[in-house]
Amino acid sequence: MNDSVISVKGLVKEYGQGATLVKALRGVDLDIARGSFTCIVGPSGHGKSTLMHLLGGLDHATSGSVLIDGQDICQLSNKDLARLRAKKIGFVFQFFNLLQSLTAIENVQTALMLAGVSEKQQQARARELLSIVGLVEKAAAKPGQLSGGQQQRVAIARALANDPPVLLMDEPTGNLDSEAEAEVMNVLKRLNRQGKTIILVTHSHEIASSVGNLITVRDGQVEIPERIKKAS
Amino acid sequence: MTPSKFVFKNLIRRRGRFVFTLLGIMIGMASFVTFMALGGSLKSQIERESAALGANLVVTPKGSCAYEQVSILTGEQLPTNITKDEVAAIRSIDGITAIPYLAERSAINNRPVSVMGILPEETRSFKNWQLAQGDYFPNDTADGAVLGWVLAEQFGLLPGAEVRIRGNQIKVLGVLEETGGKDDLTVFLSLPQAQRIYEQKELVSYVAVRVDRLEEVELYANKIKDKVSLGVVSDKQMRSSVLSIVGTVNITLQLIAAVAILAAAFGIVNTMMTATYERKREIGILQAMGATRSLIFRLFLFESGVYGLLGGIGGVLLGGLVAVFAMPLISQNAATSFVKGSQSSLDPVMFAGAILFSTLVAIVAGLYPAIKASKLSPVEAISYE
Ligand SMILES: Nc1ncnc2c1ncn2[C@@H]1O[C@H](COP(=O)(O)OP(=O)(O)OP(=O)(O)O)[C@@H](O)[C@H]1O
Ligand SMILES: [Mg+2]
Repeated sequence: MNDSVISVKGLVKEYGQGATLVKALRGVDLDIARGSFTCIVGPSGHGKSTLMHLLGGLDHATSGSVLIDGQDICQLSNKDLARLRAKKIGFVFQFFNLLQSLTAIENVQTALMLAGVSEKQQQARARELLSIVGLVEKAAAKPGQLSGGQQQRVAIARALANDPPVLLMDEPTGNLDSEAEAEVMNVLKRLNRQGKTIILVTHSHEIASSVGNLITVRDGQVEIPERIKKAS
Repeated sequence: MTPSKFVFKNLIRRRGRFVFTLLGIMIGMASFVTFMALGGSLKSQIERESAALGANLVVTPKGSCAYEQVSILTGEQLPTNITKDEVAAIRSIDGITAIPYLAERSAINNRPVSVMGILPEETRSFKNWQLAQGDYFPNDTADGAVLGWVLAEQFGLLPGAEVRIRGNQIKVLGVLEETGGKDDLTVFLSLPQAQRIYEQKELVSYVAVRVDRLEEVELYANKIKDKVSLGVVSDKQMRSSVLSIVGTVNITLQLIAAVAILAAAFGIVNTMMTATYERKREIGILQAMGATRSLIFRLFLFESGVYGLLGGIGGVLLGGLVAVFAMPLISQNAATSFVKGSQSSLDPVMFAGAILFSTLVAIVAGLYPAIKASKLSPVEAISYE
């Protein structure tokens, strides 16, 4: 258990109540090993995004627990959850990840600001992060002047800003053509080789078949595929 | 990146909306500041004029009310109906000095000026006038004009020049030293000549009275009332009734300005509400990046506060300019004519207060949108497209 960065037990998430009750997650158990690259697949509307939000402390679970680095985040206040998101989690969503009024580098700097990095140190660190995703020369570009793939790479740089142990990506390549998708995946695979734990939701079979762990979310429950079961 | 830079970038992302919202609060504050400056200067000017009158009691025309008292202080035209006999009766009372005035209006180069018919020698010693240039009236019935300092300056009139009053060419005899009051803007004529020009046979507008023993003001007021059936007010009564009239006008103007500021505040509410809707998704992203609700609340409140700060500074500058340059030009009625020739009271403390007030108004206006923004749940905000 020591090597799991995320550990989920009996996670339930329900929306609404009475006649409109939706059981988005119905008791999920899951362990994510440190340094792993996990792909989550499953039909639309079956709870993938809901699971990601709960893993990243963006929402409160109805019941169950989520442990990140051994800490149960379901017990945290809104304020502590915000701190957790600033330091331990990097999010990338499907689209419009960037703050539109800010340039690429300012987007990255904002994440650093939120984690309490002084303005002096922000500049150098932000350039370093943009170079990791190969976009230093676009530092001064506004989101509208970047291609979809470039925007997603800036979002990845920003997610990396505070060196979080976990990156949560909800269909980060869902809006991209295959070339841009490949660029983004290359960046992610390199980051994973350098030790980042990555959890990525995708509808792409190509991506799903190219990464280590595959998890299917169906009807609010996790199906652990054969190869992982066999391995454990 | 710092929170203030972040706020600034968001402020100007919609330039047009930023400018128009700012103009709203600026105009509201400018009118507020103008009226405040005007009100302040009116008050001090009223006190100055009342002192310059040098009287403890004023005998006002038959059928006059508080409005005529304003006219006496401003040098506006009055109903003129006090007769020679009545003046004589008042002047016959022992223990007082009574000086009659005929207050009229004329225009020089199309600019309105006050014209006063006076008893030259008595008025001079009553008001303690000093002569700056030329000569004074040689006797109490002499023809010719003596001018106030500012008026002579404005129209470039020196002793020997001529002024045209009601079709009469009148020679300028001399110019008085500056008094700081409305006398500086007045053309003085001897009473007989003024009565002739304005066809007021032996009538005067009011009589200023100074009593020898101040503690007996009441007594003399009654003595005058016994002799003539005219109104008599003390300088204190006059000052307070004029202040209350001007105060009412002033408060009305300030209320109008307050409504303008209120409207501008709703402009800010509107702009900030639109911003929270527009940036709903960005708020979610910020939360995912680790922004707390309280930070989002403060960022939005800061943003609306900046509207108040900038609008306040702009409004003070604009309002100050209007008070200095525009106000004297439109001061043609009794309530505002005090401002003529006087500096508007541009008080730095008042300006700082106005900027602070405007910022506070904007912050209050930003409260609701900021609460709305901070109450968004991250998931709801992120799911918004
Ligand atoms: N805020 C909400 N209120 C009510 N129901 C919701 C809410 N968010 C999600 N749901 C419901 O929860 C279920 C799971 O939704 P979720 O977004 O997790 O699906 P998903 O697997 O991510 O789908 P997709 O692949 O289309 O993104 C759906 O039935 C959805 O309608
Ligand atoms: Mg989804």
